[in-house]
Amino acid sequence: MAFVEIDGLVKRYGSLSIFEGFDLHMENADRLVLIGPSGCGKSTLLRCMMGLEDIAGGTIRLGGDDYIQGATDGRMTLDRRVQKEVGMVFQHYTLFPHLSVLGNLCLAPVRSRGVKKSEARDKAMGLLERFGLAERANFYPSQLSGGQKQRVAIARALMLDPKLMLFDEVTSALDPELVVEVENTMMELAEGGMPMMIVTHDMHFARSIATKVVFQERGKVIEAAAPDDLFGNPQQERTRDFLRNVLHIEG
Amino acid sequence: MDFDFSFLAEYSGVLWRGLLTTLQFVGIAVVLGLVWGFVLSLGRTSSNKGLYWLATLYVEFFRGTPVLVQLFWIFFCLPLFLGVELSGFISAVIALSLYSGAITSESFRAALKSIDASQFDACIALGLPQGVQTVFVILPQAMLRAIPNLLSNVVSLFKESALVSAVGMADLMYVGQNIANNVARPIEILTAIALIYFAIGFPLTRAVSLVEGRLLKVVKA
Repeated sequence: MAFVEIDGLVKRYGSLSIFEGFDLHMENADRLVLIGPSGCGKSTLLRCMMGLEDIAGGTIRLGGDDYIQGATDGRMTLDRRVQKEVGMVFQHYTLFPHLSVLGNLCLAPVRSRGVKKSEARDKAMGLLERFGLAERANFYPSQLSGGQKQRVAIARALMLDPKLMLFDEVTSALDPELVVEVENTMMELAEGGMPMMIVTHDMHFARSIATKVVFQERGKVIEAAAPDDLFGNPQQERTRDFLRNVLHIEG
Repeated sequence: MDFDFSFLAEYSGVLWRGLLTTLQFVGIAVVLGLVWGFVLSLGRTSSNKGLYWLATLYVEFFRGTPVLVQLFWIFFCLPLFLGVELSGFISAVIALSLYSGAITSESFRAALKSIDASQFDACIALGLPQGVQTVFVILPQAMLRAIPNLLSNVVSLFKESALVSAVGMADLMYVGQNIANNVARPIEILTAIALIYFAIGFPLTRAVSLVEGRLLKVVKA
């Protein structure tokens, strides 16, 4: 039994089909990086896993428990209990602009998990300290740089002790010089053993953080392998084409 | 033509009382309009079809008819329906509150709609229950975004309030017209009235743009 099991996922936007029976498994110790051309459904996959999208079919299991089950009538079932074990960070930070950094971190633990204010505060300060953001605790998001915002967003997700973290193109909106600080934060989490699913366009980062890289195209997994194998010796023609294109553009 | 503003000093007490009356019912109408407008905006954004149409019909009716007609209706027709005499002041407050509620609800609705869908995504990803999401994330942001609009509604209402003079309310405009008729000096007195309205309206509009600049910085994170 794998840690994450996605079986037969079906996702459509009206007549546009993103997935028609998509399968993907992930082990507990894995850091899975999803790569592929834009529009191939990488971000949609993460959004489905977070319960942000209605799925028309298939099941998503976490730790062996079904937690999302698709249905063709748009009435998918979603187990909020299990959903609480997944944390997600978005491309555009999605911090709450009217709350301070500390307010952003403490809102969910205090208002929906019943954690005491003082406890949540201590925990938040601990996380901010760890990320070098302690002196920004009382700042508002509009007063932070993009890199700082994104690290606050990561800290906010960590406040809920997720068992799995989803990162959806979290460095795509950042100025190049700010990318590194966010990637370092993710590397630090990786070293702590946090299971992750990451969508990124940064192939070098993908290679350094992944335990397994998944190349997908048109809603299908084309190739999945350890980073050195997938980047060093891709087996599929389409993988080779894709890598040639993106690495050429980057270089 | 010669102008003489000096006689105005003699009427300053009357003008002052007229201005106070204006400020009083505009103030009350603003507060009641805020509450009523908020309730209406909930109806306007409700998924309940009945509530939605009721609120929409109301708002469109009050936005689509002249305020003067609304005032006359409340002054002269409403008492007949209710079977009770309403004082001019109460009628003016009711009329302006009903109207300002319709306008205000649109400001609230626009603010609610302007909140990015990604904020809702973040709430779901953090497992926030619907109630927490509404009270702690969506409403505070909507309120902040609505403030500049609400303030300019206040300015409009303050100016439109001069219409109540048409039904005999002794507001600033009414008092001014009376004096003008008595002393036969409409140019001086109407100019003075305009300046008094402007003296209050102008700082308010300035305040609107000031607040707007400040708030946008906070809200656009």
